[in-house]
Amino acid sequence: MTAGNLVVDIDGSPILRRVSLEVSAGELVCLVGRNGAGKSTTFRTIMGARKPVSGAIALEGRELLGLAPFEIARLGIGFAPEESEVFGDLTVAENILLPTWTRATQRSATEREALAYRVFPRLERYRARGGQQLSGGERKMVSIARALALDPKLLLLDEPTEGLSPAVVPSIVDGIGSIRQLGHAVLIAESNLHHVPDFADRLYVIERGEIIYAGAPADVRKDLAVARVVDGVG
Amino acid sequence: MSAFGNILLGGIFHAAVLFLVAAGLQLVFGVQKIVNLACGSFYALGAYFGITFVTLALKAGMPQWTLLPLLLVAGAVMAVVGPPIERILRTVYDRDESFQLLLTFAMVLMFQDIIRFLWGANPTSLDNVQLVYGKIVAGDFIVPVYNLLVIAAAIGAAALIGLFLQRTNYGRLLRATAENRTMAEALGVNVRGIYAAVFTLGTLLGTVGGALVVPTAAASLDMAVEVVIEAFAVVVIGGLGSMAGALAGSLLVGLIRAGSLVFYPEFEILAIYLIVIGVLLLKPSGLFGKPAA
Repeated sequence: MTAGNLVVDIDGSPILRRVSLEVSAGELVCLVGRNGAGKSTTFRTIMGARKPVSGAIALEGRELLGLAPFEIARLGIGFAPEESEVFGDLTVAENILLPTWTRATQRSATEREALAYRVFPRLERYRARGGQQLSGGERKMVSIARALALDPKLLLLDEPTEGLSPAVVPSIVDGIGSIRQLGHAVLIAESNLHHVPDFADRLYVIERGEIIYAGAPADVRKDLAVARVVDGVG
Repeated sequence: MSAFGNILLGGIFHAAVLFLVAAGLQLVFGVQKIVNLACGSFYALGAYFGITFVTLALKAGMPQWTLLPLLLVAGAVMAVVGPPIERILRTVYDRDESFQLLLTFAMVLMFQDIIRFLWGANPTSLDNVQLVYGKIVAGDFIVPVYNLLVIAAAIGAAALIGLFLQRTNYGRLLRATAENRTMAEALGVNVRGIYAAVFTLGTLLGTVGGALVVPTAAASLDMAVEVVIEAFAVVVIGGLGSMAGALAGSLLVGLIRAGSLVFYPEFEILAIYLIVIGVLLLKPSGLFGKPAA
């Protein structure tokens, strides 16, 4: 997936300024930035929910701009939003199966469902439970498992560990690790550098709608201005 | 006893027809968040077209026993108005409720004129067909078999809608869309397609309801507004968006109406609205509605 020079205005204020990023097949990339820096807007724009003023987004060379969100999802972009947004009226099992009814892939529905539970084995026990009877951590797992059941080429995870108790965070991070091993490209939005998984391939830092760093996670603090942003000071 | 039986069955028959209209209203509101006043017009269209269709079919030599299937077909045919209306409603999906009410009320008035143009201003009816399936007589207690068939059809419709929403994957997609449209879309659900399907189904319930009522009552220009008023009472009593509420509310309104028609005909609407006020005071979200967040 490539996004080039995305400019997004909301109510006349510029929210994204020429944002360019790229995620290659099998890669795990993190987009780090403070709250309000433009991470969620970037994701929503990729998903077709926001129309950019200019720029281009393509998945495997196919232009996504102008497509409806459901068409983008069917092309293979799975999305787990920050607020999880698990359907409370459906059971955990129905939540996870839902994307298998909207997008057909080479993997069978059963296979896709099994993979989702393999990533978060804890959800097996909650299959019959209603979506509103879950803890915050469980909702996150369902949300990520559901996006994975789309059998996506690219998975967008918006703040997968935000607001969770430290006890739950490792199971989410392990889950993301297994998703990566399955070969899906993953783009994670993260407001805290310490939550970036060790196995991230690359890092983008976004500040006030602009990408101010793109490179290896290890080098992120070499630039003082970037270091200030990722450490949450200045 | 027989008077009580007659009121009871009269009320349940009315409830059966009312349930179909109210179920359409609930379905459309539940999924599309549109309060569709035009459901009354669909009911009226079903009634008028039902009369024309059955009259022509019987003249063409169809046997009398085909009345019920003919009315169901007439109702189903009239559901074709659903998709174009839904297309127009797309302009107000994301707007304030007052726009939706204005637009759908404008449709009620437009359909009233269309009906006046096509069928004239005088009430029209389908004569001498209510008893084609015979009647059940027990002392003073008399009920046309047709009425029982309509009650059975409404119960069947309620069961089918319930099964469809709870047990089919498409029904689950509808419920997911009803709860969170944006998330459903992000998971590949074609929300536009769902809206068109739901609205057509809602229209179908209204037109079939209207068609089924014509062997027992005349079709008139006022019937659209009359049924909307009752359907809204049903929705307020039962709870907006709830199918179980539509069922309970229809029964209550049907029975109150039948009872007051016998004892105090002047109080027919008043009696219904007293119950509505009572529910609003005691349980504002309705008997089966979820309290507002």
